[in-house]
Parts: sequence; structure tokens; C-alpha cells
Amino acid sequence: MAEIADITHEFIRQEIEEFIERPEERQRTINTFAKARPEMQAIAAALIEGENDIVDQLTRQALDSGIEALEVMDYGLIAGMGIVGIKFRQNFIFVPEVLACARAMKAGMAHIEPILSAAGVEPIGTVIMGTVKGDLHDIGKNLCIMMLRGSGFVVHDLGVDTSPDKFIEAVEETKAPLLGMSALLTTTMPNMGKTIEAFIDADLRDEVKIMVGGAPVTQDFADDMGADGYGKDALACVALAKNLLGVVARS
Amino acid sequence: MPTKEELQQRLDQISELFASLVTHADHQSLYRCPYKNRLDQCTAQFGCRNKRKPRAHGELPICAGDDKLDYRPAWE
Repeated sequence: MAEIADITHEFIRQEIEEFIERPEERQRTINTFAKARPEMQAIAAALIEGENDIVDQLTRQALDSGIEALEVMDYGLIAGMGIVGIKFRQNFIFVPEVLACARAMKAGMAHIEPILSAAGVEPIGTVIMGTVKGDLHDIGKNLCIMMLRGSGFVVHDLGVDTSPDKFIEAVEETKAPLLGMSALLTTTMPNMGKTIEAFIDADLRDEVKIMVGGAPVTQDFADDMGADGYGKDALACVALAKNLLGVVARS
Repeated sequence: MPTKEELQQRLDQISELFASLVTHADHQSLYRCPYKNRLDQCTAQFGCRNKRKPRAHGELPICAGDDKLDYRPAWE
């Protein structure tokens, strides 16, 4: 059985001591990091801190030095995200920190993608995501994006306050077959319908499936405005995205 | 070179990890504003009546929400 002193990275040792309370979980985490070489521990530490530039750089360096992608994932990225998950569950960190860590994970995974592709693991599909015009509430959208990326989609995030023209431009540029719009305010919800109308006017409505979501949005509202689907949360968003793209199971 | 199956297994693991994160985020946002970080600062780009002056220049505004009442009516 490994001991915490077997872990070389001080920050990782501190994180385990301070935040992992359940004995089994603690031992499992110690066992993982005790086996991880220092480079992997450094990737995990940067990910836990939400430092996407550092994760990006260290992941690149690790792969360039000949370390296997599986090792980078197991002992760097996934191991780091495991600690993030525990800290979040125990309310030591909150949604903004988790989103920062997820962005750091994405920075590392960007270097793994060519390896996935070479092995025949292709992205499920490409999705354009944005919060509609006039709306600056983006947490729901960001959680959907995190979940979509984590499930194997390529996501282009247009951010907040996205005009219909910006959505159209993005679909034309990327040829994405799927678009997701979110709104939190009842006053901005109609802009979802306006965006769908803009796609009809641009003769692009048949090129893209449109899904919508957000606290005040309902299935009825989605149907009325002519969306292809409605997702009530991030998990539903992924299921809907797969469904709209005709993905049955990923294998 | 890792096999497709080995890589897929890791991706499934990541997907599961993220699923548990968003499930907890949904639960937590019932009582705590999701824009409020661990330092009780507001990360929202929009106005909120719970926003207070930052502790120091260049820092994010402080969130004065107490996590006891529904925070959403304070959003502007």
C-alpha cells in the first residue's frame, strides 16, 4: 500500500491531506499518484488549479518526450479531474472553479485528440453553442459545453449575447450539423425564435438541427418556435445532441 | 500506440466524471448561486443586486448573497 510521502509533488500531497476525507477514496488517490511520475503529477496539479496554459504546455512536453497518451490521461488529466470532482462534491470548490478546471482539461485533451483520431476514435460531431442576443447568463451553457466536450463532441462556443448573424456565420464556417441556444430570461427567450427565423431566411434551416435550453424554456416553447429539441439540463443536452445526430451508442 | 478500446475506455471515464460534476452543479445551484466562486466573489458578467465592491482593486466583486434565500430574483 502506498503512502502519501511516496507522492513527490507537494501540492498534490496537500490537496489529498486537506480535501480527501473518505479513507478508501484517499488511499485510492494516494495509490494513483504514488505511481505517477513527477511530470504527470505536475499536469494534475495545474489542472486542479485551473491553469489551462500550464496544462497545455506540460501535456505537449510529456507527449513529445515519449510518454504514452494513456499515461497522460490516467495519471495526469483524469487523476487531476478526480480530485476536482471530490473537492466539488464536498463543497470546497464551486461551479466557477470546476469550469476553469474543465477548460484546463480541454487544453490537455487537445494534444490527445490527434492520437484518438489516429486510433480511430473520432469526435461524435460538431456543435455550435451560444447564449442568445441580449442574454449574459452563461453558466447553463458552459455546463452543457463541458458535458458535450466530455462526451466526445467538438464544441464552438460563441459566448453570450450572440446575434442570429453570429450563429449563422458560425454554422456556415464550421458546417456544424448542430446548434444549441440558451436563454435564462423570459425577455430574451423570443430571440431563440428570431434566430431560428433567421436560419429559415438564410435558407440554412435544413442544414442544421437546433436545440434549445435554459431555465424558463419548456418543451412546448421549443416546439412553438420550431426548435428540433429541448434539453432541461446538461445531461439532457448531451442525450439530445446524440439523438439529433442519430448517434445510438459510442463504441 | 494505444488501442481504440483503451482510449475509448478513458473517454468514457471522463464522460462519467463530468456527468457527476454537472449533476452536483444542478443540485448545488438550488441553494448557491452558480456564479459565486469559492472566495465568495461574483463571476457573472451581468448585473446582480448581491454584487458588492471588490476587496481590492482588480479583484472580482464580492457576492453578498447568503445562500438562504433564492438568489435568482437579484439577477438583472
